[in-house]
Amino acid sequence: MDCKDLVEKLYFYLDGEVLTEEERRAIEEHLELCRKCCERYEFERLLWEMVRSNGRNDSIPETLISRIASVIAQF
Amino acid sequence: MVRTKEEQKKVFQELLTPELPALFRTALRMTRNREDAEDLVQEAVTKAFAAFERFEEGTNFRAWIFKILTNTFINNYYRLRDRQKVPSLDEMEEETSFQPSLEGVTPEEVLINTLTREDILRAIESLPLEFRAVVVLTLVEGFSYKETAEILDIPIGTVMSRLHRGRKLLQKLLWEYSTRKTPLEKENEKGWTAKTL
Repeated sequence: MDCKDLVEKLYFYLDGEVLTEEERRAIEEHLELCRKCCERYEFERLLWEMVRSNGRNDSIPETLISRIASVIAQF
Repeated sequence: MVRTKEEQKKVFQELLTPELPALFRTALRMTRNREDAEDLVQEAVTKAFAAFERFEEGTNFRAWIFKILTNTFINNYYRLRDRQKVPSLDEMEEETSFQPSLEGVTPEEVLINTLTREDILRAIESLPLEFRAVVVLTLVEGFSYKETAEILDIPIGTVMSRLHRGRKLLQKLLWEYSTRKTPLEKENEKGWTAKTL
C-alpha cells in the first residue's frame, strides 16, 4: 500500500466500514512505517472524534420527556 | 403475535426511551431550533406509534425511527427558506490541505486545540441539508453507510459521496472559524475547548 491508497481508504478505516482483513492490515502496516500518513491519520481521528463527541453532547429537555410520556399515554 | 394496546405501548416505550436523546439532538441539528426540534420529535414519535404494528420485531428499530424522523423533517419542517444553495465541489475543495510538519506545532494541532463545541455545532448546522443529514447520521450518531442509505432512502454510493463532500466542507468551515479567532478569543476559550468537553 502506498500513501495514495491510504488516503483513499482512510475514511473507511476511521468509520469502521467494511474493509477486508488484508486491507485493514495493509493500512496498519503503512501507518506504522509512514510518519506523514500517521500524522494525518492522528489528525483525522482526533478531529472526527471531536465532531462526534461534541455533536452528542446535548441533553434532552425534561419538557420533551414529559411531552412524549403524555403522548404515549394518550395512544 | 397479537398484542393488546397496552402491551404494544410498553414494547414501543422500551424501544423508544434509549433513542430519545439521539432523536432530539438529531432533530436539533436538522431544525437548528430547540422548539421546532421538540415538536419534530413529538410528531415523529406519534407517527412511529401509529405505524408500529407494521414494524417487524427484531429488525433495526433505531434506523426505523430515524427514518420516520428525517422524513417528517423533510416533509413538514424543511421550508423553502432553509434550502440553501449547495456549494459547488470546486468551492468546497478550496480547503486548506493537510500540511504535516516535522517539528513544532502544526496547523492541525492549532485547529484541534482551538476548536470549541460552539464552532463544531455551528459548522455542522451550516452544512446544506443533504450533507448535514449524512454527516449527523454517520459521523455523530454512528450509523453505518448502509443504514444511512436506508434511513435517507438514497443509494449507498450517494451516502459515500455526500459524506466525502460533507467532511471537506465541514473541515473548511472549522479551519475558517479557527483562523478567524483573535489571540484574545483563543485565550478566553482556553479551558473549555471542544477537546475537553
